[in-house]
Amino acid sequence: MNELFLNNYVIVYLFSETVLFLMALYAFFKDIVILKYWDFESFSARQLKLEKQGYLLSTIATFIFALKFILLIYFVYMIDSLSIIIPGAMCGAGVISANSYGMPLLFIKLTTIFTFLLFLTLNNLDLKAKNYPLLKLKSWVLLAALLLIFLESFFDLSYLFNIDLSVPVSCCSALFGNLEGANPLPFGLNIKNLLILYYTLYIASVLAILLENRFLTAFTLILFAIISYYAVVYFFGTYIYQLPTHKCPFCMMQKEYYYVGYLVWGSLFIGLFFGLIWVIIGFLKYKNKTAKQIAIASISLFVVLCSSYVLFYYLKNGVFL
Amino acid sequence: MVIIENLNKFYEIDGQKQYILNGINLSVQKGECVILKGVSGSGKTTLLSIIAGLDKPSSGKVIIDGEAVSKLPDMHLSKFRAKKIGIVFQNFNLLEGVNLLDNTMVPLIADKIGLKEAKDKALNALKLANIEHKANKIPSELSGGEKQRGAIARALVANPNLILCDEPTANLDRENSLKFISALKKLHSMGKTLIIATHDPIFEELDFKHKVVEISQGKIGFAVDA
Amino acid sequence: MKNNSFFYFLTLNLLKEKRRYAGIVIISSLLIFLLSSVLFISSSIKQTLNYTLKAQPDFIVQNIKGGKVAPINSNMVNKILNIYGVEKVTKRVYGRYFFDDKYSTLIVGVDFLDEQSNKNLETLINSTDLKQFLSKEQMIIGQGVKNYLKTHYYNLEYNFLTPDGQMKNIKIFKTLSSKSAIISNDETIMPLKSAQKVLGLKENKITDIALNVPNDSEWQTVKAKLQSLNFNIRVISKKDMQKAYESLFNYKGGLFLVLFLIVIATFSLLLYLRYTLAASLERKEIAILRAVGWSIKDVLKLKFLENIFLVIFAFILGSSLAYIFVFVLNAPLLKNIFLGGSNLTNFAKFTPVVDYGVLSTIFIIFTVAFLSSVLIPVWKIAVTEPKEAL
Repeated sequence: MNELFLNNYVIVYLFSETVLFLMALYAFFKDIVILKYWDFESFSARQLKLEKQGYLLSTIATFIFALKFILLIYFVYMIDSLSIIIPGAMCGAGVISANSYGMPLLFIKLTTIFTFLLFLTLNNLDLKAKNYPLLKLKSWVLLAALLLIFLESFFDLSYLFNIDLSVPVSCCSALFGNLEGANPLPFGLNIKNLLILYYTLYIASVLAILLENRFLTAFTLILFAIISYYAVVYFFGTYIYQLPTHKCPFCMMQKEYYYVGYLVWGSLFIGLFFGLIWVIIGFLKYKNKTAKQIAIASISLFVVLCSSYVLFYYLKNGVFL
Repeated sequence: MVIIENLNKFYEIDGQKQYILNGINLSVQKGECVILKGVSGSGKTTLLSIIAGLDKPSSGKVIIDGEAVSKLPDMHLSKFRAKKIGIVFQNFNLLEGVNLLDNTMVPLIADKIGLKEAKDKALNALKLANIEHKANKIPSELSGGEKQRGAIARALVANPNLILCDEPTANLDRENSLKFISALKKLHSMGKTLIIATHDPIFEELDFKHKVVEISQGKIGFAVDA
Repeated sequence: MKNNSFFYFLTLNLLKEKRRYAGIVIISSLLIFLLSSVLFISSSIKQTLNYTLKAQPDFIVQNIKGGKVAPINSNMVNKILNIYGVEKVTKRVYGRYFFDDKYSTLIVGVDFLDEQSNKNLETLINSTDLKQFLSKEQMIIGQGVKNYLKTHYYNLEYNFLTPDGQMKNIKIFKTLSSKSAIISNDETIMPLKSAQKVLGLKENKITDIALNVPNDSEWQTVKAKLQSLNFNIRVISKKDMQKAYESLFNYKGGLFLVLFLIVIATFSLLLYLRYTLAASLERKEIAILRAVGWSIKDVLKLKFLENIFLVIFAFILGSSLAYIFVFVLNAPLLKNIFLGGSNLTNFAKFTPVVDYGVLSTIFIIFTVAFLSSVLIPVWKIAVTEPKEAL
């Protein structure tokens, strides 16, 4: 227990997470009952009750999904604002790496949101059909999503309780700047090859979606997301900060950069998520034009946004960084 | 149009099955008018509500326009009810505090229809039921007969082929009951399929072709063409 | 939106039920108003403090004796000047002077002919006619100090009583405007020598030394070098001060927020009971909707949009009222909790600031509590059997 727990953001964040945890717990038991006793052919009172409880579960899931989405943004904002009271931190990067729970927590949060999105999509398809064809599948997906909430709650507490305010953390320049001279990029890439890969994978992803090749879409999209992470941190970010040595995925979410980081990362993840949703429901023989369009529009926005920072810098200064 | 196959509805009380409907078989052709006759407690209202999809049977089937309605999930059943079935209730069931025009629109709203189109359709239905002059009145300002006509307008608004009426004249005086019967005749002439559950003897004076089905103790007693 | 029959019906329903919702909206807005007022005040103060801190020197060097701050030798300045990368090293003399056991002023001694590490002082000196000011022993005072002196008939000068029991007469030169009000309202600024006398310091002793380090990345090194000048030296950086202020307001705001959560929990429980009760009244109506073709999903949508509307309406109402209360009416009653009303009325007005972090905090806390407590009652009513309409 430390003064972190008297910070407004932390209090509200923990309060919301607790409420969602309780809701998830309630839904968890209801979901198990449905998985166990569902029998669509039956006219029994229990089956009628279960059909109604299906609506309760989808309502709770929608509620949790919407709030988790808002709370993710809030969490990132909170992390960033905590950098004032945590010694050594200049932005969220230092705070999130204050202990080894931070990065996994962020990753779990994204996975949770994705799983809920998948459930809601399946639920929608299921309700549109006349005989609940996806009931078992969607209930399992929901169960997984709820388990992820429990896992997230555990990481939430572990992370916040293990931030030691007396121990200075590293700032982003120490975390991402290549101080030791080692190449931080994956597969031994250099910046030039990284950018070639970035644009190639973008075009490949869009083509794969347009050609409706689902395996290829999944493969290129995931690879694109990974490469994008490095491209933004080690290349595009420096143009956002207009400083060749400033490499950080978090600082761009600060006011000085007009919070553009939220749009950058948001468009990447929304594109990735909807692309993968499209792939998964495609394997179940469903078509969803909206998911496809959102995926393409979103990653295109991401690429245009990143590239325009470089372009405008060049137009303004006549040189690259 | 409506086919009912071996329909049962029962409650289990202390392990004993208490039948409300017992082995009902009935088929209604398109454009037919069927009077379900029987004393209160005979099961005619339950039969009507199962046909409308408001209630679920314990076993058996109801098929309307080739669709087995009893086993449809809620979303489909509701949509089906909104589009294909109009219901006139015994106590009219208009929403309190909402004027007649808006009341008439209610079945269309769930169908994601534009407001202007919905209002036009509602106004047409009110005209058809001869009550458009009261479109801006709320139910508490209307007489029993006027409410009844409002309820008919609401049942007609989505242009369904099947109209179900539950004790439609129970809350009306003789004059208004006769007006209702002439409205029924108009619907019959429009080719609507009508099923009416009633024990009112006034329906014996019906002056168009119809079928009377007697229900007693959950079973079909007799059926005659009149 | 305008041609959407669903939204038309939604507004119809809200208007029809306005009496029933009025109570909920009033209590909700009141809760939001209370929370917003407190958080607006604390974020406004934080903002002002940050504003003031920005003008402060980067480092302050103090002399520690027996764990307490003691006057430091002024020749330390020369040693500090030898450190590479420092700038604007300034001697500072300041301390509290108590007029009586209740009212005090912050005496700040300034070497007017030297470079200043404090940006506010720099502006002040630039706007002062130094020749005239330094012609005799004079001082510049804050608005609050002026008000106090006036009530005691000191309009032109004041006789300070020094710690060694002598009188020291100093004329009032001018009154400070109260832009960053929290710091300067109870300040008295005078030449270094006069301040030393009023505060009872020997001629070669000063309170502390301030300095700037323009290059951020050298802060750590400079701090270490300053520390090694003498074993009994304490170095305070601007960031340390910011952190201290931040924690102080964290405690005040956080404590309130925790109490508020208990109120919110009670409110949620009431809301849950209220909705469960209302469900029995609404049953008939929902059954009619279901009977004429509304699906469970449609009813859920209607009911949730109704409640989301209530939440947003109450949020806008409550937070705008709080904005007016704090920034226009200057938060009567509430401001004492934060500022403590004891000293010279050391405060003028809250600086209006719209902090999105604070607004989203209020919105999230309220939405989560409200919607989660009505979720189950609303579902219960939405699955009403349509046969109940018969």
